Amino acid sequence: MRIVAKTLLVLALVGLIGAAAVVGLGLYNVSARLGHVPGLSWVLNTTFRNSVDLYAHESEPVPPLTADMVLLGARHYDAACKVCHARPGEARSATSLSMVPAPPHITEAVEEWSANEFHWIVMEGVKMSGMPYWPSERKDEVWAMVAFLKAVPSMSADDYLALTAMPRIDMPDIAAADSIAYCAGCHGTDGRSVSDEIPRLDILGSQYVRAAMQSYIDGTRQSGYMAQAVSEIPSRHLEDVTAYFAALPPAGETPARRPPPPRAPGSSEAPGADMPRFVNTLPNTRPVETLDPLIEAGRALAFAESGSRDVPACAACHGPKADRRSPGGPEIAGQGRAYIAAQLEAWRAELRGGGPRANLMRAAAEFLEDEEIEALAAYYASLGPEALRDAAQ
Amino acid sequence: MPHRREGIEIFARKPTAVVAGAVFAAFGLSACEGPQSAFGATGADAIQLETLFIVMLVGAAILWVAVNGLFFYVTRVHTTSISRRLANGVIIGGGIGLPLVVVTALLVYGLSIMPDQRAEGDGLVVKVTGEKWWWRTEYQPLAGAPVVSANEIRLPTGSRTTFELTSERVIHSFWIPKLGGKMDMFPGRTTVLTLEPVTPGIYRGQCAEFCGESHALMAFKAVVMEPDAFDAWLEAEAAPIQADPQAPGAEIFFGEGCGACHALRGTQANGAVGPDLTHLATRESLAAAALPMNREALAKWVRNPETYKPGVKMPAYDHLSDEELDTLAGWLMELK
Repeated sequence: MRIVAKTLLVLALVGLIGAAAVVGLGLYNVSARLGHVPGLSWVLNTTFRNSVDLYAHESEPVPPLTADMVLLGARHYDAACKVCHARPGEARSATSLSMVPAPPHITEAVEEWSANEFHWIVMEGVKMSGMPYWPSERKDEVWAMVAFLKAVPSMSADDYLALTAMPRIDMPDIAAADSIAYCAGCHGTDGRSVSDEIPRLDILGSQYVRAAMQSYIDGTRQSGYMAQAVSEIPSRHLEDVTAYFAALPPAGETPARRPPPPRAPGSSEAPGADMPRFVNTLPNTRPVETLDPLIEAGRALAFAESGSRDVPACAACHGPKADRRSPGGPEIAGQGRAYIAAQLEAWRAELRGGGPRANLMRAAAEFLEDEEIEALAAYYASLGPEALRDAAQ
Repeated sequence: MPHRREGIEIFARKPTAVVAGAVFAAFGLSACEGPQSAFGATGADAIQLETLFIVMLVGAAILWVAVNGLFFYVTRVHTTSISRRLANGVIIGGGIGLPLVVVTALLVYGLSIMPDQRAEGDGLVVKVTGEKWWWRTEYQPLAGAPVVSANEIRLPTGSRTTFELTSERVIHSFWIPKLGGKMDMFPGRTTVLTLEPVTPGIYRGQCAEFCGESHALMAFKAVVMEPDAFDAWLEAEAAPIQADPQAPGAEIFFGEGCGACHALRGTQANGAVGPDLTHLATRESLAAAALPMNREALAKWVRNPETYKPGVKMPAYDHLSDEELDTLAGWLMELK
């Protein structure tokens, strides 16, 4: 018995010394060039697949995936993901292929996962693989990435290039022009945004835009898309970007890519002439049964005419036609329906911060019901250029 | 006998204990004073309840003295054996007969005044809704449109006012001890209470059902007025705001979006989430009697309501400067 105990003790000591040598002296060769010891790749890959299978819940509801989401997801993919996973019609770079494990090409990666699995992988990332997690706490916005990924199989190389083309900004300062063009990719050169999921900036004041950018930089406002965006813009160009968008006139026609919001749900109407064909098969925005009653319900809520004792009158700060408007409350009349709804949900979930008055909006959104969020988003999105012109005066 | 002597000696030796006991008892009596005491009642219902209390107290005192007197008599005064007949008489008479008579008398008296406590109102109807943690009020006079206000109850003497009580989220209880009994307020249900104040004055009401973290800070002033004075007040209360809506303080009020939650009749501010502020400065207290009604308290309250009322729905306006808060508070004090 004593011999057994002594043998075990000696073995444990030898093991400990061995482990200390591997960690402390660096005996294990981490060279990617050498690859894993035989069988280890299989172990890691199988663990990864089974883990996604366990933690990505197939029973969770998938929101309607819309064309507007694809537009946003494509832009973010192009800026943040393409470097490893390449794009449709393009081979992976030599550098990407030299990673261990090598990231799958986007067209092959999208073939095997469900929407919920995509959502989990993009949100959580994969340890020891180089796949990062989503740079924000907001799970809701990851669905736009899922919409894009689900659209990839029907996407040609030209479709992808059309979705992600950089706009041209003519400015003497070429570096500043590049930064502005990068922002305008999503928010539009006219500031009116290319997607219902992306806020239009032409209706916002420079003070608000500046505060918003700062809160994305500070992390007081959550968004994986904007976290990536503000990290891509050199800090010396932040002011150029703010000045560019603040100078854009708020009045004008509704952007060509975004048909006027009050329209038949599930409309087959093309979102825009230059839109890739596959996008036409998706609804433009979150579908609803009928929009008109929603708009009226939203208007009543916004002006405290609904009888609600939980929802403060939005119009007191956000207009659109109040005699006096809050200096800190941004204009939202004409903003995208999907964007307004997502922001209200983020406020309610206490995931949204912002400027010095953020606590006011957090209190305002605390008791919002889902239907009220839909109604308010429908109402403010329904306000046409005329209301915008009033608001601008 | 030696026992009794010992008892007396204890009292003789420890006068400090007696004094301490008396002082402690006097502290209890101090609760009998003040605007929120059920003693010194100033409403018909509370006066009746006060009489009931005294009758019950006297009845209880008689019972206590009789029972303990008998006990004292048989253990200390008449320690020798007594006749069986007398013993039976004492047990049946003092143990069954006397309590039966006294309790029956109290019951009959108590039941006889119950209808009075459920008397119908004969004039004004006041709808009160319990909120977290304040009171939403609406006066419905016999003639004229309803008048919305908050956090204060005004009543005329000489008539019986009906209260229609309900609640927004949790159970509260409406109680003005000087005027009458309490009545619970339930979400989704209306309970009715009537009160007939007798003496004009400013009394205090309090939520009497634990309703959350600021339950203790959910109070109000109940102002009882002569009928003429009340009518004049109600007419003034029904009017739109009297302050200048273009003043610098008003600019802050509207610019900060205060109207999203608070109504100021006669302006675009029509929010229904928080108390109506049309005649805020006429109220005797601020924040449901958590603070006095003055400029300094208003500025402190707006800067950070949570400090004075934990869990309050109203957010802090601590992004405003001291000057802005003072200007705003000054204008709010003009809401007469």
